[in-house]
Amino acid sequence: MRVSVTVNGHAFERDVEEHWTLLRLLREGLGMTGSKEGCGAGECGACTVDLNGKTVNSCLVLAVEADGGRVATVEGEADHGRLSQIQAAFARNHAVQCGFCTGGMVMSVRDLLTRNPKPTVEEIKEGIEGNFCRCTGYEQIVEAVLDASGQLNASTKGALRYV
Amino acid sequence: MTARFSYAAPTRREELFALLAEHGAGARVLAGGTDLLGDVRSGLARPAMVVDVKRVDGYADLAWSAQEGLLIGPAVTINEVLLSPRVRQSYPLLVACAQDLASHQIRNRATVIGNVANASPCADMSPALLCLGATVVLSSRDGSREVPVTDFFTGAKRTVLAPGELLERIVIPPEAAGSRGSYRKLKRIKGHDLGIVGVAASSKDGALRLGISSCAATPLLVEGLSVQDPADDVVAAAQAAISPISDVRCTKEYRTHMVGVYVRRALREVA
Repeated sequence: MRVSVTVNGHAFERDVEEHWTLLRLLREGLGMTGSKEGCGAGECGACTVDLNGKTVNSCLVLAVEADGGRVATVEGEADHGRLSQIQAAFARNHAVQCGFCTGGMVMSVRDLLTRNPKPTVEEIKEGIEGNFCRCTGYEQIVEAVLDASGQLNASTKGALRYV
Repeated sequence: MTARFSYAAPTRREELFALLAEHGAGARVLAGGTDLLGDVRSGLARPAMVVDVKRVDGYADLAWSAQEGLLIGPAVTINEVLLSPRVRQSYPLLVACAQDLASHQIRNRATVIGNVANASPCADMSPALLCLGATVVLSSRDGSREVPVTDFFTGAKRTVLAPGELLERIVIPPEAAGSRGSYRKLKRIKGHDLGIVGVAASSKDGALRLGISSCAATPLLVEGLSVQDPADDVVAAAQAAISPISDVRCTKEYRTHMVGVYVRRALREVA
């Protein structure tokens, strides 16, 4: 089937098989490999993208379902090589270890900050509960979100303890 | 995903039911896809035809009226229920169950009807529907029938739905509006996980109902209780109703024990 999607503001048309996921369309049809396939079952969140204003696991959406839709991926974050505020906060706070979860993580964080510009630590944890970091670098990720939302200071930095 | 299938996204009911009738057991309904596409990938489901119901006129409606109560269509997502001011005001138990279902991304796609229709024993929305006395409307090319949700489940992932039939609407009666609700779900981790034991409780005018998941082949309703009943009696009624198994997640003895713990906690919240 032929599908039309707008990804990060650019319109694309591609022929896809019915069983292709949106993730496969992004990666293999459009060459955007920032969204990763971790589990392929909606557990890990490495494939998180925004579809029509809502975050989804793109491994659990068919490409044909996205026909006519608007998609935002991590490739839309940086502007001509200049990192977005969220990306810069991730880099500053060492919130990237192997990097596999980062694309999806950044998309969930963008969605969280759009809904809730000043989330508490508890709200940040809830906001990224669908994104696994198998390096378990959650402390730095939470700090990066605090930083991106202007809440990282002497009292919050390093104060997170996960027991 | 390697398994191939045909795909259709009808916009009219008639078109949808003609497709479901034509393909019978070879057709699978696609709503949120969070169960179906995982099952296709793992080979549990091998549909020849996937029928997407999200574009059917009116299927995304979440409506409320004082006469009919809350009407939930097949494309209504868990997050739409969770964020609905009407649901938050009138049916807090739905909100409690929706909140505990998977992750934000999944809740953006997964539908209430899909969660119920797939009839997993650990489905989070089913205990709420049992407590709230919901009815399901099952439709096919030949018409519609109304079934109380208590009669909908026949076993693990089995329901009274016939080939060609769709769970087209959930109706939650207006009488259930304003009941207090609590949902307690035992998980391995605080984040998103399937339930090991789930206990929903609702109370209105002193009457107490419990909906229990993951403790039998189907979600269970325990009714005829009162918030005045001693907690020990309520626990005994719940433990008598369940028939848990031992599986990869825990033993039946642990499930039985934790039903008691969670019934007591839920009771404190709705009494």
